[in-house]
Amino acid sequence: MGLLTNLKDSISRAASTLFSEEDPKRIGIYGPPNAGKTTLANRIARDWTGDAVGPESHVPHETRRARRKENVEIERDGKKVTIDIVDTPGVTTKVDYTEFLEHDMEKDDAVRRSREATEGVAEAMHWLREDVDGVIYVLDSATDPFTQVNTMLIGIIESQDLPVLILANKIDLEESSVQRIRNAYPQHETIPLSALEGDNMDEVYDKIAEYFG
Amino acid sequence: MPHQCTDCGRGFDDGSKEMLSGCPNCGGNKFQYQPEGADISETPDAEPPEPPGPDSTVARTVGKTAASVRDFVSGSAADGDRPAEQSHLDADQSADAQPSDPSHTSGSPSTEPDRTSATEDSAQASARGDVVEPDELPSDVPSASESEHQFRPVGADPDPPAEPDREDRPDLEELRAELNDQFESIKVLEPGQYELNLMELYDREEYIIALQEDGHYSIQVPETIRSE
Repeated sequence: MGLLTNLKDSISRAASTLFSEEDPKRIGIYGPPNAGKTTLANRIARDWTGDAVGPESHVPHETRRARRKENVEIERDGKKVTIDIVDTPGVTTKVDYTEFLEHDMEKDDAVRRSREATEGVAEAMHWLREDVDGVIYVLDSATDPFTQVNTMLIGIIESQDLPVLILANKIDLEESSVQRIRNAYPQHETIPLSALEGDNMDEVYDKIAEYFG
Repeated sequence: MPHQCTDCGRGFDDGSKEMLSGCPNCGGNKFQYQPEGADISETPDAEPPEPPGPDSTVARTVGKTAASVRDFVSGSAADGDRPAEQSHLDADQSADAQPSDPSHTSGSPSTEPDRTSATEDSAQASARGDVVEPDELPSDVPSASESEHQFRPVGADPDPPAEPDREDRPDLEELRAELNDQFESIKVLEPGQYELNLMELYDREEYIIALQEDGHYSIQVPETIRSE
């Protein structure tokens, strides 16, 4: 009986190893609202599959449901790395519909957007626990990275031992400071980029292949 | 250089007045304090009394999170636990330590004058000299005796030095417990205004799939609970 159980175990272990090698890694794109997560997800998806992931907007919480782009094949130095990209809603501790009223939105729409954004954050946090194999953490390099949400999320990611790549986005902006992000999270490598302009994407792909390949 | 601009990395003397109006180089207004003898990249054993700066270990990151969350919720739950733990640890000194525990936090700033005068450099001296003349200051005698009085429980307290040795996980657990006590996973202030407890959302098995207008929400229940 014991022998049989052992045999069964080793077969299922072998099977799961087989599958895990075949299954692309799920990489969650996390970060605060308006850091440029969807712009990055679209940039990666367009560069390697030709399709977009979802609409981008300067209004916070445009992405309110996690969106996935599967089987994105990235080629680096003749090697192929296949990942699933999961673009998540911006994580925050407060969602307030009055913020959206400033963007010419009717109250009903703003309240609905706020509710959906809250559901989206709940979903993104749940996914972080169970459904991602690695994280691309996107920060707006023109804003202060020393926030409670960033510190807490990066702390959670570290406690899960997930590989994490920190991207300092929006380097095309004048106020951008990549050093400020490096100082905030010196335990991780920080890669500067502009997802909007496509600046430094080659290094980003190199690092994606290195971290998640 | 004890202070370093987090934007451009420029260093400043301890107590330098230049920092007061922002970094002259880049205008940055966040400065990281580097204790004496500490290297910028590595501060192995230094235990700054203020919320620690960006150092290179997970424990510190989580510790910093704990500190900022503690500030954020301004709860007293964890602080309330500590004295009890301490009094258990130093049972012998409990008679001395116990009544002065509330002054624990005010105790460490009060030790500062001694330390400052011992290691004062020119920048500190000028900062102090320019603002207040020495003879305008009140006599040192009462404050010295006061600081001596408050210093005893701090010196006898074995807790702070033990802190950095802890693993990151217990700290994260503490942080979770503290946050879970504070408020539920999603607090509906009014329709359209929500406060989210990220740790609780991260921690729960089931996840919220739909918020309703009236403040109720639907959750997805895991299989294991449903079958019971």
